[in-house]
Formats: sequence, C-alpha cells, structure tokens
Amino acid sequence: MTVNRRTFLQGAFGAVGLVMAQGALSKLVYAQGASGTLRVAIAKPAGNLDPQSHYAIWAIQDLMFEPLVKYGRGGQIEPCLATDWKIEGGGKTLHLTLRQGVTFQDGTKFDAAACKWNLERWMGLDQFSWMNCSKYFESLEVVDDYHITLHFNEPVLALMQELSYTRPPRFLSPMSVGADGKFKEPVGTGPWRQVKADDTESAFERYDGYWGDKPSYERLEAKVIPDPRSRVAALRSGEIDLVGGFWIAPLTPEEAKQLEAAAVNVVVDPGNVTLVMAFNPDRAAALKDSQVRKAISIGIDRAAISQVLYHGYAKPAGNLFSSALPYAGKQHGAPVRDAAAASALLEKAGWTGGPIRSKDGKPLTLEMVVSPDAVPGSRIIAEVIQSEMKEIGIDLVIRSVDHASKHTDMLEQKYDLGFFLTYGAPYDPFGSIVGLCLSTFKNDVEGKLVTDPVNLDPLINAATAATGDQIEPTIQKVYDWLRDNDAIAPLVYVPSIWAHSNRVQGFTSPVTEYDMPYENIVLAAE
Amino acid sequence: MVHFISKRLQQSLILLFLASVVCFTLVVSAPGNVAVLIAELRGAVATPGYVEQVAEEIGLNKPLLMRYVDWFGDAVSGDFGISYRTGQDVSADLAARMSITGTLIAGSAIIATLLSLALGFLGALWPYKLPDRVSRGLALLGASTPTFFVGALMIYAFSVHFQLLPSFGFSGPETWVLPWLTVAVLPAAVLSRVVRIGLEEAMSSPFVLTAKSKGLSRTAILFRDALPNITPLFINALGTQVGLMTATAIIVEPLFSWQGLGDYFLAGVRFRDFMVVQACLLIFLTFFILVNLIVDLAVLLTDPRIRRQWS
Repeated sequence: MTVNRRTFLQGAFGAVGLVMAQGALSKLVYAQGASGTLRVAIAKPAGNLDPQSHYAIWAIQDLMFEPLVKYGRGGQIEPCLATDWKIEGGGKTLHLTLRQGVTFQDGTKFDAAACKWNLERWMGLDQFSWMNCSKYFESLEVVDDYHITLHFNEPVLALMQELSYTRPPRFLSPMSVGADGKFKEPVGTGPWRQVKADDTESAFERYDGYWGDKPSYERLEAKVIPDPRSRVAALRSGEIDLVGGFWIAPLTPEEAKQLEAAAVNVVVDPGNVTLVMAFNPDRAAALKDSQVRKAISIGIDRAAISQVLYHGYAKPAGNLFSSALPYAGKQHGAPVRDAAAASALLEKAGWTGGPIRSKDGKPLTLEMVVSPDAVPGSRIIAEVIQSEMKEIGIDLVIRSVDHASKHTDMLEQKYDLGFFLTYGAPYDPFGSIVGLCLSTFKNDVEGKLVTDPVNLDPLINAATAATGDQIEPTIQKVYDWLRDNDAIAPLVYVPSIWAHSNRVQGFTSPVTEYDMPYENIVLAAE
Repeated sequence: MVHFISKRLQQSLILLFLASVVCFTLVVSAPGNVAVLIAELRGAVATPGYVEQVAEEIGLNKPLLMRYVDWFGDAVSGDFGISYRTGQDVSADLAARMSITGTLIAGSAIIATLLSLALGFLGALWPYKLPDRVSRGLALLGASTPTFFVGALMIYAFSVHFQLLPSFGFSGPETWVLPWLTVAVLPAAVLSRVVRIGLEEAMSSPFVLTAKSKGLSRTAILFRDALPNITPLFINALGTQVGLMTATAIIVEPLFSWQGLGDYFLAGVRFRDFMVVQACLLIFLTFFILVNLIVDLAVLLTDPRIRRQWS
C-alpha cells in the first residue's frame, strides 16, 4: 500500500477521532464506575499520613484516624474513642473511659494498651511542646483495659480541645509500624480504610467493622487537582463531586460565584477564621497614637470588602472571633466606614494638611505588607484599603511578598500594617490569643498580631489560668482591652466555601477547616 | 565527526557545571527564612527551638560553599536529598515524574511537528491564496494566545461543554489529548511559519528551476526537493521549541493535574523547597543542553554542508 497525502491525512484524522471516541466511552464507563463513590478534590497529594508527622492533609487523616473526643459545633466536646472523661486535681489529672468494641482497621483491638502506646508517641516530646497537654505531661497510668489516667505537672488550658486536634493526638494501630517503631502504613479506627495512595489520588473503602455510623456509600476518592480553575472545571464536567475547604482545595468567592451562575450547588458557612489587620507601633511611630489606629479602622469599608471582594459570602467583623467559637466574647457590630470621623480623629492627633497629612514635617506614610500566597485575596483588599486611606489623607504603600518572605517580615516586624488570619476551630480562642497576642509566648512562624507586656499579658495570663465560670469574664477583659485601645482592626469573618454536584445530597459544612465533611452525605442514584 | 561530538560534549559539561552554580545561587539567594516556612507546614504553632532544629536539619547553618559542594556532590551521584515539604526522597519523586513530563513533551512535539508541517505545506502549496491566509491566521492566533488560556479554553470546550475528554488526570490516551494539544499550539504556530518561509525560500532556489524544467509538479518539488532543504532549519527550530516546552510544562501540568516535573517544580517554588527547585532546575537545564546536542548531531546528519565542514 502506498501512503500518499490523502491516506496520511485520512489516517491522522481517523486516529484523532478514535482517541476522542475512546475518551467519550471511557467517560461513560468512568461515570458508571463512580456509582457509590464520592469523589473529592484535593489540592496536593495527601502525603505521609502518620498522625504524629506534619506533612499530610489534615482532612485525609481525619478520614482514618479518630481522636479521644471530637470537636462539635460551637466548640462542644463530644465523645469519640473516649466515652467519658473527668478532669480533677485543679486541671492536672484527666481520667478517661475508653470506648469498648473498637478495632483498628487491621483487626487490632483498641484498648488502654493501644491508647498508651499512641499517647507516648508524642506526649512530653519537645517537638509537640506547642500543645499544653504535651508540654505539661507528667505520666500516664493504665487503670484497667478501658480506663487510663493522665497526670500533668500544670493545669492544662483547653485540654479537651487539644485532644480533639487532628495531629498529633489521633490514634494509629500499634501493628502499623515497623520493627524500629516508625510509621509504616495508615491504619486507624475511622470509617475509611486507605486502599490506594499516590501523587494522583488517595482512595478509601468503607471500613465495615467501624464502631459508629457507617457512611452510606462504599468508596471515597480524593483526586489531586492542584489548579483551582481545573477543580472548578472538573466539578462542572461531573468528574468530581465535592470541592472546597481552606486546607483541602480552597474555592475563592469568585469561583463560588461562577459555580452558582452555572447552577452548581454552593454551600457557604460563616466560618470561624477572622481576617484581622495588625498595627505595628514599634516601626511606625504614628501608630502609637490610638486615635490614628481608630481613624484607620473606621476609614475601612468592611461592608464593601465583604460585598465586592467576597461577593457577599463574608461577614464584616467587629470582633477578634465570630460567635461560632466558644468564649468568643460579647459580639459587637463591625465598624461602619466614617471618613469624616476618621479625618477628624487624624486632625485631633495632629496630622493635618493634604492631600497627604503630615506632622512635624513628616508625611503620614505607612507600609502594608501583603502576601496573597499566605492570605488569599489580600493584595486586592490592600488596594481597596489603600484608596480608602488616601481619602482620609494617609499614604499607604503596599509591599507584596511571597509566603516565605511574609513570615520573615512579620517576625522581624518589617511592616507598619499587615494581615493576620486567626487559627480557627478547634485551636481558638486560646490558640490565637496566646500564639498571636501573648508577648512571652515565642511564636516564630506568624509573628505577633499585637503585644503589650504591661497591659495585655496580665489579662491573657488571667484568662488562660481561669477555670469554669471564670473563663468567660476574664477572656472578655482581653477582648475589651483590644477594642478599647483599637489595638487591632478585625476586617471580615472568612467564610468556609464548598461546592458539590447534584449527586451529593445532605451535605453540611465541616465543623472545622481540618475535617473532611463526608459524614452526612448521601449519594443520589445515577 | 568524532571531534565534533567530543567538542560539543565538553562544552555541554562546562555549561552544565555553570548552570548548577547559577541555579544553586538563584535558589539560596531568595529572601525569606525557609526554616520558618517548613516549621509552619509541619505544625500549627512552631517553637523557636523547633525552627532552629529545622534549620540545622536542612543544613541552613552551614557556609554557602559547603552547602553547594554537598549538594553538587550528592546530585552527581543521583542523590537530590529530601523534600523539605513532603519529607520524601527527591530522586524517587523525580524518577516517578520524569516519564509524565516526557510523555507530555514527546506527544506535544509530535503533534506540533505534524500540525506545523500540515499548515506550512498548506500555505506553500497554495501561496497567497485562501489556504495560505488561513494557515497564516491560525499561526498568528496560536502564537499570540497564552498557553494557560489555550488550556482553559480546551478544558471548557472539550470537558465542560461537550464532555468528550477528561479535564484532569494522567490515566490513559484520552487524558493525554488536551495537554498535548495545549502545549503543541504555540510551537506548531511558530514552526508552521518556519516551514512556510523555508519552503518559499527553497522554491526560489536555482535547483527548483531545474526541477521545473524537468517537468516536475509543484507538489513533487515541494516534497522531494524543498523539504530536505529545510530539514536542518526545521530541526533547529524544533529543538528550541522542545526545550521551551519544559517551561510550558510548568503551566500545563498543574492545569491538567499531571504530576510531572513542571508541577513538582512549581510546588517547590511556592514552598521554597530548595532541594526540589534545585533538582528540577538542574534537570531542565540538562534537558535543554541535551536537546541542543541532539539537534546539532541531527543537523550534522541532515546537512551535508556542515558535515563537510567538520570532516
């Protein structure tokens, strides 16, 4: 047979047609294969799932590994692998009753011995000293097969919240480590058992020996899709069922709006993380004056930021924490922009003239450091604030940096104004108050939102030392001090955004950004 | 010929050494403390002691020269260290990902070659007529459309709208089509102009007049006489485009969720994962140098004038 131009072109077009036809066919087969399978997007491979390691996606670990207690809505602590607990000795002793009839996915029994083996893998180690229960750990006593007692040398603040964290407190089968005691494979007590994991996906099958309510579908696949636009396209084309979550595969408000316009189900939860603006009076002398800080705060149009930049999904913030968190304090409305009042405050503080105000011959110029990698959307928010500041006579210079440089700059206080995100549930309120506001707590990652060793530290120390009914009034004093001194400027409560296909029914947003929201989902028949 | 190859190999090795110095310097001179970033990735709140431990663990406290010597020595023996971000062996990750990027570049190069030859010949067969104008227009469109936009359009058209092809993944020929086409568009556009102009120049050569006087048709002359003449030129241009495809892979792989070297490099850059970035840069540069070497050899084999020059 001779190959001429015509036969070559016919062959080439035929080959392309065949590939496309095979693609269409395989999609049909794929869709049928997806029956009984929830397909979730994840932005990166799940990573090393050892609960005592720090690399994995929290939500993937959440599928397999369970804690002693769970963090419920509004901060309620709910039983999980522990059915009962009692704190005694002024917060220094914890008695735990373990759940009976629980087995790890490899058949190993969960009992006091397994519990002890797990807790001793991390409690008391320096690496985990950022957790109070590890920092103050003294000893562990096995009472019987299903009762253990933990002793601490200091009262542990938010002890039960800490035990609900995804890592390191979750439980791994003692049989799933090598002879050297090092993690080998992910085997937990949770409802999902990992059957496959590589750089493209992690697949899980329902663990039928699970002690609790089992999922109504048999399989869960977490597909790695790094590009946000591709995640949106995959959801729209029906290749995945669920996308969202700050640490899983974040959706921006813009993307959520596009999906809504394409009739895709979008679920927005108010969330429990706050975007806050920090002032650095140590670098910018003008910010030492609370009138200037207040002028900046009321010069910002939070409602516009919420409506325009977050497409109405975010709520303007008037507090460090939203009411979704426990001990969030008395809730105040967000300040309404008042440019005239802001200008008057600046005049009163001695900053006069225009278009950029000055004092003693020095212009009122402030530098704002932003990192869109660390705080998504922060560059645009900064630009909006920049134009609003100009209206009241402040020259705001924006310096955009990458994630690593942002950390260095914040730590070394190379900024006048900067954005911070609070840690959110289950870490807050104490996580952010201690980590970001207590001067004596060394936080070498994010830097400090605000510190005042003389006035603020005693209030925080009192709040963290309080127990029972005393917690609320003492922590309120911290919030009052922050508010009375305009020490920070909360901007918006960052929403938790999810989108799902029509196959997914009964979806509810997860309680924390670290959980996978699989629990209430029912998959509709194809 | 042997002399030519040995000279080019020597030059390539020197270039590779210089490239390793450049990529190491570039990566380590970036601002920001990577130890803090890693500490943050590993835990919710990191203590100063832990940040210091991380800095020690990844060798940040050593002098720069020592760090370079350590890294280069290990790299030469195939050990690219451990990823700061994932804790996994970088060499193993590279080995797993290389075939993915290789598939992307090989497939795209073949498509780009076929498309460019088709468009170039279309224009040359009917010069200054409708097919020529159409191929010129397509080339202009292809060359001036950014790759990420081409990819987004492909996904929207073939995955979201017609639902014919998957929008992500690397699990079979149907998942290869869109990434191949996305990467191939720009090189195809550029190469089609190389073919078209090369053919036009060749067609104005004296040997074409001879062929015409022998009674050969324009099509026969184009394929039999002009095509071999533009081959060295085409190989040179193709080599450059294949080299540039590594840069395109950085954009296209994450878009289609291909866990290749481009995706690995991008993740490394975002998280200041020194080991990954340095290893990827070195591989990209080695690939570029290797492609150039192959192109030189191919040109030597296809162009008798250069062969004579080195004989």
